[in-house]
Amino acid sequence: MKLSVKWIVTVVLTSFSIYMVFALNPEGQLRILFNVLTFAGIYGLAAIGLNVHFGLTGLLNFGHASFMGVGAYVTLLLIPHAAGREGQITETGLPFLLALVIGILSASLFGLLLGLPAIRLRGDYLAIVTIAAAEIFRLLVRDLESVTGGVYGIINFSDSLQKYRPNFIETFVSKYDLNAGQIWVGFLSWVSIFFVLLLLKRLNSSPWGRALRAVREDEDAVRALGKNAVWLKLQSFMLGAGIAGLAGVFLAFNYGSLQTTLFVPLLTFYVWAIMILGGVGSLSGPVFGSVIFWVIISETDRLAALIFENANGQQLAGVRFVLVGLLIMILMIFRPSGLLGKKEELLLNVK
Amino acid sequence: MSSSLMRVNNLKKSFGGVKAVDIDNLIFNKNELTSIIGPNGAGKTTLFDLISGFQEEDSGEIFYQEKNITKSQPHKIARLGMVRTFQLTKVFDRMTVLENLMFAGSNISNDSLFQSIIQFPKQKNYENSLEEEALRVMKDLNIEQMSNAYARELSGGQKKLLELGRSIIRKPDVLLLDEPLAGVNPKLTEEILEIIEKLSNDGITILMVEHNIEAVMKISERVIVLAEGSLIADGLPQEVRENKKVIEAYLGGGDE
Repeated sequence: MKLSVKWIVTVVLTSFSIYMVFALNPEGQLRILFNVLTFAGIYGLAAIGLNVHFGLTGLLNFGHASFMGVGAYVTLLLIPHAAGREGQITETGLPFLLALVIGILSASLFGLLLGLPAIRLRGDYLAIVTIAAAEIFRLLVRDLESVTGGVYGIINFSDSLQKYRPNFIETFVSKYDLNAGQIWVGFLSWVSIFFVLLLLKRLNSSPWGRALRAVREDEDAVRALGKNAVWLKLQSFMLGAGIAGLAGVFLAFNYGSLQTTLFVPLLTFYVWAIMILGGVGSLSGPVFGSVIFWVIISETDRLAALIFENANGQQLAGVRFVLVGLLIMILMIFRPSGLLGKKEELLLNVK
Repeated sequence: MSSSLMRVNNLKKSFGGVKAVDIDNLIFNKNELTSIIGPNGAGKTTLFDLISGFQEEDSGEIFYQEKNITKSQPHKIARLGMVRTFQLTKVFDRMTVLENLMFAGSNISNDSLFQSIIQFPKQKNYENSLEEEALRVMKDLNIEQMSNAYARELSGGQKKLLELGRSIIRKPDVLLLDEPLAGVNPKLTEEILEIIEKLSNDGITILMVEHNIEAVMKISERVIVLAEGSLIADGLPQEVRENKKVIEAYLGGGDE
């Protein structure tokens, strides 16, 4: 890969973010770092999925949380778990890997079902439909208590994944007083990122990737050249939704319990912020964007406490969002293509 | 040599009470270079949109090679060998000229997700031949030096050329050109006219909407005049030029 200024800047910024974790925390630094990196991996994976939609194909998807939710709920309900008011236990279930595959496929299928009526809509209309669909999904899951556990959520499912935890993680963890379960989930999410990026790199430079970019640029011209633009968009929607579904599963395992409140629109907007930060249309950008984003989310209250000595916890918690907003504003002014985005392919035209 | 290629029957389309197209009967012949002229708002582009499937007609039928394509979707019509360009050029801005052309030339199975994941060696070969083809088209159009430029960096005239090239690489039987000369400088106009004539000589049927009357009269084998959606004249360029109705409606009285 050609070493360019934007790569140097990105690596420096990411390293600096990680350094801040050490600088701002007097103790438990490694624990905090691995917590941040796990979230960064999971959200980064989701942002990579969103980038397939928006970066590669130009689809304004504001319902990403629902794809993550479908993946998580389907997978968890298929493995042994406890759900609902009474914590009703389901002891039998599919092996984790099989459930995961079904979960991912369900997220893709949900993308297809949502896409069939909605994908013909252009730009902002698709955004409205997807955000509404995501809310409908969340409310349905909340109210279908007998199936999904409703507001009481799903618990006791972690064993299905944790029983595969390899020994090297135990030895690593015992040295540094870390949470083994979380390290395992984080490890898997980063491994997934690696393979998803390999796949997307292959696809992006392929005729299929070229066709998606053409759809992004001008759908009418694509159709006039004999290509089925709707089908291309649906394929992109399904692929991105599947990746989001995988991220949703990891998110659930990271928390150890699944609550419907996890899938509020805020989740979607976090993923959007990460994608914009990393660079829309850049494959690996969201990964770096995610690390920086999560350091900001996790460490700004500590930073703010140093600046505003008399503020209470609640006031400090608000500062992180001010900082994230500020960061995105600065980014939009000085580098609207994000950390690793191509200036020539600037995708967020602020017209 | 002339035989019917496309037929339009009782085609009607209006926008909120304004009649855009109202054509009883129109036959396009194979291998003919036909120009469609008329004042602004005469329904020329709408006629193209109806034929190419980008708009749905209120009533009427369109037959292409005896196949009813009235309700077909644009990409299906294009796959039958009828390719159109647009009045306002639609190039893929943030893709290179080469990518624009290769995408246009690529066939459906090459574009498929499955093929692109597996990437059989034969796909590589196909892509290589596609690239050669694209380079050949660029050479013919004299834009080969722009191969790796982003399409949005091209001048207006070059964009017209690129759009033309994208159509050519699809090896169409019929080309619908919507104002291929609009906003193009005189020198490039000559070049584009030569290209169009060459395509016509190569056996491609061409329908062209164009306001440059001089150019139209020079290269067309047949001229159709529309006014307010209806056909007011149809014939050889010379006949049309002398037609009283046409002079009144479009060409203007004291021009010559």
